[in-house]
Amino acid sequence: MSMLEKARRRLGDRGARAEPATDDDRLLSELRLALAPDRVRFDGAERSLHAKDASVFRGGVAGPSCFPVNTEEVQAIMRIAAAHGRGVVPRGAGTGLAGGAIPLGAPIVVALTKMNRILSVDTDSRVAWVEPGVINLDLTRHLTPMGFHFAPDPSSQQVCTIGGNLANNAGGPHCLAYGVTNAHIMAMEVVLADGDVAMLGGLDPEPAGLDLRGVFVGSEGTLGIATKIAVRITKNRPAVRTLLLSFDSVSDAANTVSGIIAAGIVPAALEVMDHRITVAVENYVGAGYPRDAAAVLLAEVDGLDDGVGIDADRIAEIGRQHGATDVRTANDDNERALLWKGRKTAFGAIAQIAPDYYLHDTVVPRSELANVLEKVYAIADNYDLKVMNVFHAGDGNLHPLLLFDSREPGVLERVHAAGKEIVEASLDAGGVLSGEHGIGVEKQAYMDRLFSDDDLDHQDRLRRAFDPGCRANPGKVIPMGHSCADIQALRRVPTGVWG
Amino acid sequence: MDLNLNGDELNTCVQCGLCLAHCPTYRVSGDESMSPRGRIHLMREVQLNNAPVTHEVLRSFETCVQCRGCEPACPSAVPYGHLMETTRETLADAGLMTPWWQRLAMRPLAHTKLLGAGSVMVALAQRGRLVPKRLGLSVDVPFTQEPLRASGTDVIMFTGCVMDAWQRDVHQAGQRVLEAAGFGVTPSGDLAPCCGALHAHAGLADDTRTYATNMMRTLSRGAIADASIIVDSAGCSAQMKDYGHLLGTEAARRFSSRVFDISEFLALHLDRLPEGSQLAGTVAIQDPCHLRHVQRVHEATRTVLGRYIPNLVELDDDGLCCGAGGAYSVMEAQLSGQIRDRKVAVISAKDPDLVASANPGCSMHLGAVGVPTIHPMELVDRALHG
Ligand SMILES: Cc1cc2nc3c(=O)[nH]c(=O)nc-3n(C[C@H](O)[C@H](O)[C@H](O)COP(=O)(O)OP(=O)(O)OC[C@H]3O[C@@H](n4cnc5c(N)ncnc54)[C@H](O)[C@@H]3O)c2cc1C
Ligand code: SF4
Ligand code: SF4
Repeated sequence: MSMLEKARRRLGDRGARAEPATDDDRLLSELRLALAPDRVRFDGAERSLHAKDASVFRGGVAGPSCFPVNTEEVQAIMRIAAAHGRGVVPRGAGTGLAGGAIPLGAPIVVALTKMNRILSVDTDSRVAWVEPGVINLDLTRHLTPMGFHFAPDPSSQQVCTIGGNLANNAGGPHCLAYGVTNAHIMAMEVVLADGDVAMLGGLDPEPAGLDLRGVFVGSEGTLGIATKIAVRITKNRPAVRTLLLSFDSVSDAANTVSGIIAAGIVPAALEVMDHRITVAVENYVGAGYPRDAAAVLLAEVDGLDDGVGIDADRIAEIGRQHGATDVRTANDDNERALLWKGRKTAFGAIAQIAPDYYLHDTVVPRSELANVLEKVYAIADNYDLKVMNVFHAGDGNLHPLLLFDSREPGVLERVHAAGKEIVEASLDAGGVLSGEHGIGVEKQAYMDRLFSDDDLDHQDRLRRAFDPGCRANPGKVIPMGHSCADIQALRRVPTGVWG
Repeated sequence: MDLNLNGDELNTCVQCGLCLAHCPTYRVSGDESMSPRGRIHLMREVQLNNAPVTHEVLRSFETCVQCRGCEPACPSAVPYGHLMETTRETLADAGLMTPWWQRLAMRPLAHTKLLGAGSVMVALAQRGRLVPKRLGLSVDVPFTQEPLRASGTDVIMFTGCVMDAWQRDVHQAGQRVLEAAGFGVTPSGDLAPCCGALHAHAGLADDTRTYATNMMRTLSRGAIADASIIVDSAGCSAQMKDYGHLLGTEAARRFSSRVFDISEFLALHLDRLPEGSQLAGTVAIQDPCHLRHVQRVHEATRTVLGRYIPNLVELDDDGLCCGAGGAYSVMEAQLSGQIRDRKVAVISAKDPDLVASANPGCSMHLGAVGVPTIHPMELVDRALHG
């Protein structure tokens, strides 16, 4: 070791020494023995990084971070955690927007990114077995030469993991026709909180018994860790047509969406973006999005050649009836890819306008879309905040983004207050809490707006059937008062300088 | 500690994570601390919250290849490259990064003669098998070389340092191609010994500023004062195009606007390129990061090569870095090797006869494990001159 190395090691130690000793030390050495020393980390930098995901929630505190490479190692981590009475938080790519991967009370963070192999693909039975850390788009890329893809396509698909998709039951623009993640998960191997392995679901079309698979999908890591996943793969359609419609008002766009669905057309995707976000997106991709439209609707139909043409024409027609000022069809694959790239990077493009955003994710009945949107703009105005809207219009899944600069004093309070009103406006219109991003820590406080005490107690009991000690992703989803968080006080751990 | 980063630039990252999959070190490690988002977060913690610069923080910064694959992937246009260069400069000045022996090793780059002597030693050593394999030197460094001759003053051919001493064949091919397109060429030779790219990456930006100032003076005089400057090494052209930002002067910006990557330049003058013959065989294009992510002119390689090669194939990894990264392949041999393994797998999937790469560092790095690389200009030269 060189002098420089030594000097720097000492620097590193100083960070670590701010932690309380003994129990953590024992925990660490057991984890390192079970995995490998370089795949267990507990330094300040890593803890600070793993305390966060893509959401705006702060206040996470990470314990040791582990990078297992197989099911046996995940089991070992779970057993060691159980012996030490510690919680465990699974983590994929950390793109969650509801804070699902944020560790509360210094649990062990289990990063599944190294378990990223595609294990097998069977195009005859249309199933692929993958490890949870496989990146969504990598799977589709792998399947492309075989003429298949993985249908759930969240906008974060270039980086989020299949495990994270499963845990959040992620949706995406093309889930309108194909269904969200739940419809594409056939079976999975999971490691439960006590370290035991269970196989949930099966490859039969109608597996016998309770649908525990369905219970696990969307459980946000609170029931255990998925270590192998059998996903359904979808055959690519021979023809695709993508239309871009421009409007003078967001309501016109929203009403067009209702009109399309009412006409009995089932497009592959229907996405709306308002003026502000369209401009930001166009700045990044240069796909030819109109900079002057109040809203644009991106509509895609796929299937057999003839049908696609007919549907596309009808969509254009309905659009015009609802005041579309321009209707454009993508000429080739390149143009289509660019348009989608724009839509899918919309959230990320926001820093052009403000350095922080708070993204909401609620679902309202399609017929209420235009109404609720108007309220969203009014609420933001009221709190003197900028708001942008980009949403999976076909599902009535709203994504209002509140823009702010967290350096401005007091702004977070305003953002949260406005957010609360937006959620309530959606619920009042007969909507639900989350379309796809999950509850995590974000929506916990709203759970009792939607569910009765009885509902919540049942959810809690279901959870305990999997995890009696409540150590899998502690403190998430089910609000305090109904959850394990009551019983097992979350550890309060000083974070040292690197908190 | 103040890393001297611009607060607004630092603030543009919204932590969405869309860049992660485009980062070679995150791809092979799966570790947030080796990702662009992670590195930016650590910069923020250090600069804004006074978090200590620990060993792990330094490792996070040092392991960055500076390929800037994260930049085109970022919808918020975070100027990552500049953030990392400034971070390194501050940490190198504070004595926390880039130890003395590394700085010393870079000195000869600016002295063509010295480097020449060094190259002769490496050549001798290579023949005597004295160069350890892990240094990854795959090009047989030649003993003596035919000098480049001036043929006119239409354009300047930048011959650089490492490139000139080790891969003069590429310059000669490039010069013949430019001449076939009717341009008279002045090789820069001793006028411009080094672009300073490696120094800038190591945090020694002051050295780079000195080279830039000198080069701007020597290449802006006499008959060549306004000539376009043609560069056949993507790392060098990227650096020279950045002088405007580095020095922040109008003269530097004007100088930078004269700089072209050779394929970029030829694509602009496609009509002047002779017909030539069609080359058989499958050629995969491996875009150097500094061509694709920094200069974003990689389409030009396809435009030019497409004229002569019917079987051009794309690699399926969105231009992920090969792990060479200038001195990176030596400093971070293990990571660099893992990144290369990934690249080799992607190349093998396409089973090409040759891999075209417009950067000597990438060629050597891939060549060291037996990937048959060639500079695009050598291919064009072959098509034109047989
Ligand atoms: C720019 C952007 C766009 C987005 N667009 C969409 C969109 O269109 N649709 C959508 O649905 N979401 C979207 N999201 C949210 C997010 O990308 C998805 O929820 C995604 O599924 C999260 O995957 P991840 O790998 O990042 O998981 P993480 O964020 O790491 O984790 C998410 C949750 O899953 C749990 N988890 C992770 N792996 C496992 C496992 N193997 N077993 C059990 N639990 C596990 C975690 O504990 C956590 O609760 C977007 C996010 C961003 C930043
Ligand atoms: S650098 Fe850009 S892409 Fe990466 S996390 Fe930050 S904003 Fe997102
Ligand atoms: S420059 Fe390259 S290695 Fe560094 S963070 Fe960006 S993508 Fe990763």
